Amino acid sequence: MKHRARWIALAAGLVVTVFAVVLATQVGTDPRADANKSHLLGANAPSVDLPTLDGARLRTSDLAGKVVIVNFWNSWCIPCQEEHRALADFYGRHAGDPGFVMVGIVRDDTDDAVRRYVANEGVPYPVALDPGARASLEFGTRGQPETYAISPDGVITGTRFGPSSVANLEQLLAAARGQR
Amino acid sequence: MKATLGVLALALGASGALLGVGTLAVGLTRHDDRLLRVGRRYVFVVLAAAVLAAGVMEWALITHDFSLQYVADNNALATPLLFTITGLWAALEGSILLWTLVLGGYLAFTAHKFRNRATDPLVAWALLVGLVVALFFFVLTLGPANPFKTLATAPADGRGPNPLLQNHPLMAFHPPMLYLGYVGFTVPFSFAIASLVTGRFGEGWLAETRRATLVAWGFLTIGIILGAWWSYEVLGWGGYWAWDPVENASLLPWLTATAFIHSVIVQERRGMLRVWNLSLVIATFCLTILGTFLTRSGILNSVHSFTQSAIGPTLLVFLGLVAATGIGLIAWRGDRLRTPGRIDSPVSRESAFLANNLLFAALAFVVLLGTVYPLIAEALQNKQLSVGEPYFNRMTTPLGIALLFLMAVAPALPWRQTSREVLRDRLLVSAWAGALAMVVAVALGARELAQVLAFGLGAFAVAGIARQYIIGLRGRRRATGEAWPVALVRMVRGNARLYGGLVVHVGVVIIAVAIASSSAYSTKREVRLTSGQSATVRGYTLTYTGSHTNRSGQKNTVTADVRIRRGGDDLGTYAPAISTFPNASEGIGTPSVRTGLREDVYLTLISSPNQQGRVIIGVAVNPMVLWLWVGGGVMAIGTAVALSPSLRRRTRRVEEPAPVAPPTLEPEKVPV
Amino acid sequence: MAWVALAAVVVVTLAIVAWPSGGKPSQAQRVQSVSSELRCPDCESQSIAQSSTETARAARADIRTRVAAGQSDAEIRQAYIDKFGPSILLKPESGGLGILVWGLPAAALVLGAGGLVLALRRWRREPHLHPTDADRELVQSARPR
Repeated sequence: MKHRARWIALAAGLVVTVFAVVLATQVGTDPRADANKSHLLGANAPSVDLPTLDGARLRTSDLAGKVVIVNFWNSWCIPCQEEHRALADFYGRHAGDPGFVMVGIVRDDTDDAVRRYVANEGVPYPVALDPGARASLEFGTRGQPETYAISPDGVITGTRFGPSSVANLEQLLAAARGQR
Repeated sequence: MKATLGVLALALGASGALLGVGTLAVGLTRHDDRLLRVGRRYVFVVLAAAVLAAGVMEWALITHDFSLQYVADNNALATPLLFTITGLWAALEGSILLWTLVLGGYLAFTAHKFRNRATDPLVAWALLVGLVVALFFFVLTLGPANPFKTLATAPADGRGPNPLLQNHPLMAFHPPMLYLGYVGFTVPFSFAIASLVTGRFGEGWLAETRRATLVAWGFLTIGIILGAWWSYEVLGWGGYWAWDPVENASLLPWLTATAFIHSVIVQERRGMLRVWNLSLVIATFCLTILGTFLTRSGILNSVHSFTQSAIGPTLLVFLGLVAATGIGLIAWRGDRLRTPGRIDSPVSRESAFLANNLLFAALAFVVLLGTVYPLIAEALQNKQLSVGEPYFNRMTTPLGIALLFLMAVAPALPWRQTSREVLRDRLLVSAWAGALAMVVAVALGARELAQVLAFGLGAFAVAGIARQYIIGLRGRRRATGEAWPVALVRMVRGNARLYGGLVVHVGVVIIAVAIASSSAYSTKREVRLTSGQSATVRGYTLTYTGSHTNRSGQKNTVTADVRIRRGGDDLGTYAPAISTFPNASEGIGTPSVRTGLREDVYLTLISSPNQQGRVIIGVAVNPMVLWLWVGGGVMAIGTAVALSPSLRRRTRRVEEPAPVAPPTLEPEKVPV
Repeated sequence: MAWVALAAVVVVTLAIVAWPSGGKPSQAQRVQSVSSELRCPDCESQSIAQSSTETARAARADIRTRVAAGQSDAEIRQAYIDKFGPSILLKPESGGLGILVWGLPAAALVLGAGGLVLALRRWRREPHLHPTDADRELVQSARPR
């Protein structure tokens, strides 16, 4: 066949073009986008049963019927330290509300480091420890800081990965309360 | 001042390349020999410019000139000298600079080597294509990847290189070796395009580019092995190959280049497969650009996390142009290339090489598909997927086993055709060696199919290689009566390519056996120990004797001392560590490896001592990992042997009568 | 004859190796196999089996609990997909788009092998050489004047 090379070249050219188009459409995208959003949005929040820093236990029953903000953090993560101020301010604004609960869960850290951090920096809201990383796994966390907002009927209504500002936290709270 | 000098050097390189391209183009269209001779000189301008630019960058790095953004980002006052120097390739802009430097070197070497054929259109076109590629990379450095950007206010101290890049002296070797490999493929590519454009497909271009391809291939092999070594010894995750997109990007051109190295032999002997070989060379070059695109554009998740930049789209456009040019040229000239060659028998060396190429092409296809599949899924279904080790292992293992089989059988197959008697003479003993190895392995407890096959086929291959050496030596000694060592050296140099290639195959077998052993028979455990406590893993007793903390510059390192004993012997104290840097939130682990002939004991510090002084130490016993590096070394030695000038060629040149007039064109060996 | 003996030895040895070891995989083996196919959530591309991060260890413990509770491999994988999204799988699923990544290489290999067989057959026949006009021109132009 005289033009066999041409046909093969045409086919090859077609494949390469399709390939190039696929690559071109993906050039601007972020391959980590999936890792930065939670897949539990709209699902029921996992149950918790964790020890707190002062020796008590934090259970799902303590959170039922209230709007809950859960923040996963630890003492050595830099972005966690960055958002520490905002978290404390935010808590201060809503602490008096009986229908509001805020809790910090420590993932991937040692008890002593956490105690030292709390003693030095001051964390006004209850801190729970997650030594076996079970709660972290249940919530589908991949790192820290991650903040989850749970509505009174136990549904995860909002998540934020990375350090949050007071405005971010207010947004999460509003969504959990059902307001826009 | 340095920035201006650097940018001037880059501009010099770009304009030199542009002028070179122009001069050569005009010279070629007008058949003007003078212009061709002038045009080729621009290659040396390009080299000089690249050397100057790289030199300025090194000068800036060594003097810690933080007014340059690149230096501020990749160097700090506390950075040791070695890692200051390697800072040239620590990040994107610098590594493109390194690319231009290596490319300039290869082009200059090519221009020098062909100085007596400067007016040959084939050579001129090759230099032209090389200069176009150089032009592209210089334009990259002047645009999206400018290494000489300045900062308005120079900081007092720089950020320092990524902690992972100042952990180990290997940083000085791994990237340059890879680049010597990648960039080297530009030379055969240039000649392939030149051959297509000029319509001269005689074996002239082939012989010249074969050596260049082998050199580049050798460097790439070393670069990949060094990368695996780094992954194992430095990164500390416990393995040597993660099928990470960047690793795959370096493997892809290696696969097509290996296919080419083999199928080119068929073209030399039988004049066949010309289109295929040209396609392989062009594909190899395209894969190097594709690899650079995949790793530098930020399009894929990877352990090698380079920062994103605008370089992605530019590389993609260049890649498209190159691919279109290659495909277009082959479509245009393809019909002229077809030879009426034939393969006489499916059981022949030619067929074995064809099967070899099929398998390598399939391997390349699998690796490419697996690497870009997440992109395809994202484009078509907006889903983010991952493709990891389970997929790649499942798909590449059978292909690898098939290749091992070919490696065992092919060198013994005669050209054209064979008979049962010949096959029996050549293969039976080696095949029995392989079968025996399998039986021994199974008797010793091996129960994984792939591993047992790897052991058996490996033994088969090595036995065949030993047989070829012995028979060759015996024949030579009978003829010349030389002593063994002399006969060996002379025999090898008489056919360096064959005997060197066989040594490379031995290296491959060693690596295959090492991979088979370490992937199937590794043991991994985590032990919690307080000071003085011991744990036993696979016959090794590990005693944690204490830890200490060390501050040096920006690095804070916690080291745990672990004494290893086996039986009654004390094997020494090993010290896995975790280092923390102020900018990184996570610690960087440094493993400590006790390398043994049979197996490694691989220690990592998973968590530093807590309040009770208890540490968690990861212990892995990995069999045969040392032989991976040994096999790599053997491959490198084999490549060097294969590249050494063949005795035959040298004597012929000496015997040739001195030419009356200097020839400007060497006659093609095979008529078009 | 010697070849037959060789083949026999090889086949027997391989049969011993490939013989199913009988019985279902143990719980530990199931944990190992499931966790080697799931990506560790806070690593780049390591599997849960390989990684030593806190999350990976928690995940291994979680998988151990699930295997002991009798969940099937598919159920465990689905639970992780629900929590972390489909990118948690290291081995693409075989259905749907997965046909591309599993089937294409096999198809390409078969096609290539087939093409090779066809080419071999074609090459073994006598070659037909008919110079075309273009060939004659080329020879003419290459002849020394």
